Amino acid sequence: MRRRPGISGLQTAAAARDQYRLVGENVAKIRTDLMKEQLATFRSQLEEFAKKHKNDIRKNPTFRSQFHEMCSKIGVDPLASNKGFWAELLGIGDFYYELGVQIVEICLATRSHNGGLINLQELCSLLSQKRKTAREAISEDDCLRAISKLKVLGSGYEVITIGKKKLVRSVPTELNKDHNEILELAQGQGYVTVEEVEKRLSWSSGRAMDALETLLKEGLAMIDDGHKDGKRRYWFPCVASIFSSGGA
Amino acid sequence: MQKLGDFRLPHFFNYPPYFTLQPVRETREKQVQLWKELILVYCRSQKIFSVGLEEDFPLFSNPAIERCLSHESKVVFLSALVSEGRAEWMDKSHKKCLVLWLSIQDWADYIINFVKENGLEDGVMTVEDIRSGIETRGTELAGIDRGVLMRALKLLEQKGKAAIFKGSSTDDEGVKFSA
Repeated sequence: MRRRPGISGLQTAAAARDQYRLVGENVAKIRTDLMKEQLATFRSQLEEFAKKHKNDIRKNPTFRSQFHEMCSKIGVDPLASNKGFWAELLGIGDFYYELGVQIVEICLATRSHNGGLINLQELCSLLSQKRKTAREAISEDDCLRAISKLKVLGSGYEVITIGKKKLVRSVPTELNKDHNEILELAQGQGYVTVEEVEKRLSWSSGRAMDALETLLKEGLAMIDDGHKDGKRRYWFPCVASIFSSGGA
Repeated sequence: MQKLGDFRLPHFFNYPPYFTLQPVRETREKQVQLWKELILVYCRSQKIFSVGLEEDFPLFSNPAIERCLSHESKVVFLSALVSEGRAEWMDKSHKKCLVLWLSIQDWADYIINFVKENGLEDGVMTVEDIRSGIETRGTELAGIDRGVLMRALKLLEQKGKAAIFKGSSTDDEGVKFSA
């Protein structure tokens, strides 16, 4: 369009800008409305789904974990509060709080034995034993969820991954890289010797002894001088516990 | 789980480090606690009253994991029981230990209860009857160590609840209850 000079040209330009803005606003509004509508539909669908599969969610740990995954993808946290709609619908909040309390109890009860570090698997099986009367099965996923809720309390409950295993820490012990490597090594047999640590990790003997002594002092290791080869073994109840291991 | 006869052994019995005295205080406390309980429960279930440190005692070794307790560990665990009044050394060299899973006082109470439940007030029993007679069969009193029983009876005598007397026809001693 040829630009015409004068006041009327300016007015036309201003009018066009206003028009464009109006159209733009309209489009945005339509989009938002559509989005809101979609979300509302989705939410109601999800609620309907949850209602329909309430029993599966409560009884079946695999189903429950998949449901959680789905919820987290769309930004819904059924555990955010135990007062909300979800809790009322599923009673799921209370479920995890109850688990949390039982996890704390188990961690405290086994602390003098394992130094406050416990294998997630073992925690899970102890939890199942404890809940024998409750009919719902418990999965590791449930444990992890309950533990993540415990973090709010600031009591230092944390899940650490060492090698292939997940360990739950209930004491504020800081484990450094050396300690983690030893724990990982110990997962094979449940114990290590100074010699093994030096050989497998190519450490100096001082380094291995230092790390083992620290683990011993923290109550995470126990010494065993009873083997006939005369070599001291350092056992780690947190990786292969007396509740699951068969022996040496 | 491993068993000794009909006795179910605890899990820790299969975990080798529990057979080595632990150097760290808290770990050691837990270890001593577990062993104390095991010794008491085992002796009670098998009616064992004395444990010799130099004799074979099933709890002091676990062939399944090839571990056994050192002399020092045995002394530590039994001494812990002694300091709680749940055991007594029977000699100065600490080679033999009397295990009291019930204290003498508890035994005395147990006897009085037994007497009441069986209507033996003002009755007479011989010491041998109590240990192996038909009346006490199936109770904790069956097979009780003679020394322990006599001490419990003497305690009752002091309280005026029993009178011990020498039998006239046999060597055995008799006891008259007056609960």
